[in-house]
Amino acid sequence: MSNQPLVIENLTFKYRTRPELALENISLELKQGELLLIAGSSGCGKTTLARCINGLIPRSYRGERTGKVLLHGTEVSEMPIPEMAQIVGTLLQDPERQIVASNVFNEIAFGPENLGLPREEINQRVDQALKRLNLEYLRERETFNLSGGEKQKVALAGVLTMNPSILLLDEPLASLDPASAHEALEVFRSLADEGKTVVLVEHRVEDAIEAKPDRLLYMEEGRIKYLGPIDNLPKEIDHTKVKLPAPWVVQRVKSLEIPAPPPPKPTVEESREPLVVFEDVDFQYDEEYPFILKDVNLKIYPGDLIAVLGPNGAGKSTLVKHAIGLLKPTKGRVLIEGQDTRKISVAQIARTLGYVFQSPTHMLYAPTVQEELEFGPNNLGYDPALIPTFVKESVSTVNLNGLEEYPPLGLSFGQQKRTTIAAVLAMRSKILVMDEPTAGQDFANYTRFMNALCDTSDNEQSILTANFAATLFITHDLDLAVTYANRVLLFGDKHIVADGDPKDVLKDVDLLLKYRVRPTSLLRLNLDLLPRTGQFLPAESLASYAP
Amino acid sequence: MLVTWKYRRRNTFIQSLDPRTRLIFMLCVIFGLTIPEIWDFRIILPLFAVSLTLYLMAHIEWKDVKRAWLYIFVLVFFIVGLNGLLSGRGGPSTVTSLPSPVVFEVPIKIPFTEIGWDVPVTVSKIWFALNQMTRMLTMAILAIPIPYTMDPNIYGTAFRRMGASDKVAFTTDLAFRFLPTFARDFSITMDAQRARGYEMEKLKGGIAGRLRRLAPLIIPVVMQSTVTGEEVIDAMDLRAFGTKPRTWVKDNLKYAGRDYFLLGLGIAIFVGCCVLKWGFGIGEYFVPQFFSNLFL
Repeated sequence: MSNQPLVIENLTFKYRTRPELALENISLELKQGELLLIAGSSGCGKTTLARCINGLIPRSYRGERTGKVLLHGTEVSEMPIPEMAQIVGTLLQDPERQIVASNVFNEIAFGPENLGLPREEINQRVDQALKRLNLEYLRERETFNLSGGEKQKVALAGVLTMNPSILLLDEPLASLDPASAHEALEVFRSLADEGKTVVLVEHRVEDAIEAKPDRLLYMEEGRIKYLGPIDNLPKEIDHTKVKLPAPWVVQRVKSLEIPAPPPPKPTVEESREPLVVFEDVDFQYDEEYPFILKDVNLKIYPGDLIAVLGPNGAGKSTLVKHAIGLLKPTKGRVLIEGQDTRKISVAQIARTLGYVFQSPTHMLYAPTVQEELEFGPNNLGYDPALIPTFVKESVSTVNLNGLEEYPPLGLSFGQQKRTTIAAVLAMRSKILVMDEPTAGQDFANYTRFMNALCDTSDNEQSILTANFAATLFITHDLDLAVTYANRVLLFGDKHIVADGDPKDVLKDVDLLLKYRVRPTSLLRLNLDLLPRTGQFLPAESLASYAP
Repeated sequence: MLVTWKYRRRNTFIQSLDPRTRLIFMLCVIFGLTIPEIWDFRIILPLFAVSLTLYLMAHIEWKDVKRAWLYIFVLVFFIVGLNGLLSGRGGPSTVTSLPSPVVFEVPIKIPFTEIGWDVPVTVSKIWFALNQMTRMLTMAILAIPIPYTMDPNIYGTAFRRMGASDKVAFTTDLAFRFLPTFARDFSITMDAQRARGYEMEKLKGGIAGRLRRLAPLIIPVVMQSTVTGEEVIDAMDLRAFGTKPRTWVKDNLKYAGRDYFLLGLGIAIFVGCCVLKWGFGIGEYFVPQFFSNLFL
């Protein structure tokens, strides 16, 4: 029997509550020090495979499992938990799901404490992990006050103190700003170089490639579609399904002669009255807390398609919560169609501004997707005869067709996220505001959704043109801003540091780096080709301009 | 992720105490009042004064605790107090069995029916309601400062050192953080649904209809709590919780002189209440003459 760190043989799994197979006939073998990237769309089986590796299947998730998962030659389901936990260290997608202690030291020490190790050894392991990840300054901080990037690193430190030989990283970049994601990927690579076997589950393939994975496992519908070297990727995998570096996409499009017309962007109508106005807005939660917004001035016009960029914890969500009236300025005022948000209710503002919250579980409640999507329009008192049409179009836009009768809370995270977006699309507010609309979603789904949303042609499916006067989305995905936005707000230091046309704001790479926005290959290629294109374009459309 | 209460480090006598001292003292007062069933205001009032003194010594800012106090006032005055005033139940049977003059009557009617009756409020019931509220406040005043003045990092250690098992100690630590987490989730859910045009103040219909209309708030919060619970369990499983006797690294709790003083006081209160009640028959419920005279 092989004694490799991880061997999976003919693994098949079906959840007890689902009719279809979640995994089908998966086989692979990982060597010590190997970094494997697992990619695929939402619901393809990536997370289920991760649960089989770390033993949560069959311990916590019931179903029918056949085949073998061997950790250093021992079947994971037969392994005692303490032993298994010291072999496989799991970093979950959302660090908030992983952190159990209220203080950084306690969190990092939690695993070794559970193993009953001597105090001196625990202290030593904690110190090593803190030093390894440059987290010494966080040692005594409260965990719930950390930024997203800090939480992720603390969670990783907590895993490392268990000294596992295999690191299982389940979409670890999802909640990180680009600079934090880059730092995390460097750490993952160095851990592999130090001899750990690293399994990186990530649909942001372009970003994950920075960790220089040795192999890629690409999954579709619970099966392996590709397992091999990362260099072969452009030939093996459709660039519309996973996000590849822009030069690779250009190369593929040129070699396969795939036509790719640029998506037209909506035109801003600045001559009209602004829909939203921020006038000298300051905000702090309490007098004893620091300001989160300071001197914010902003006007949103019909036709705006705004991407809000900036680091974790910069105050981007606070900004949009002022627009919907959930927060009121400490100083200054926010006007929605000329009305001060202090004088109108949130429900009244919702007719003008629809806001998609970041976390789907805080929003979803109905027994079916259909009813979930009818909730908002019903609250706003729309004509009942029109609501089914709104719902149908929204379902189609976010690719939830066929799931109308499913309970939203039973869907995958990506599908839940799309349900929340559809729920707000169905409200037909004048302005659509989305907080991280692509978080937890795979590339194909969010590209399809953004294309449907932003399509400004005469196509009847053009949701944005037909129904929304303006759109604003907060994102860490710089390529969304490059591809779709006609205006970019760079947020940092509690106020808007840059506001304008994407090609004007995003050409200042030093400014972007200062605010932890890391230029992507698509931005760099667009900047190189800008004299010839005159505008920012998606990678496919750049093929005809690239040498 | 579980969040903690609004704890701040303060240079106060209360926060210089070992957390175990405060928990044990609180238990002594609670058990001293409840186990021997003390209803005598001559014992309750001094204990109330001790509790109030300790509360004031904690120097907690009003803005931090005003919401907690609101819940306590609603519970103590409107639920416990009103129940005591109208029914006289929840205490010794002598409240209602002893003859006592009726001060006034409260007409009560079952909605949508003609069925109703007048509830007599006697001097005894009024005195009982006052006593009951003071007893409850004596206990609440000791409990309220704990989350705001006890370092959340040593909840688990404190319970472990008080003799609880690893699982019980850590579960108590998690339970302490559940309420603020629940409040945070409720607030986010409320915001998310308001952003979809939901207005709680416009709930209409009967009780069933109103409850149905609350589903958009209740279901996500309950689901979030369930999901959080499952996530915490998964996260603990993945790091081998409960599989071996645990090492508690932050185990540097040590009693000082002030702790021994307060522990001694707590034990004296508990033992004193038991001895007075069971040894000397002091502590039974009675209406003092000066109070009865007020209504003559």
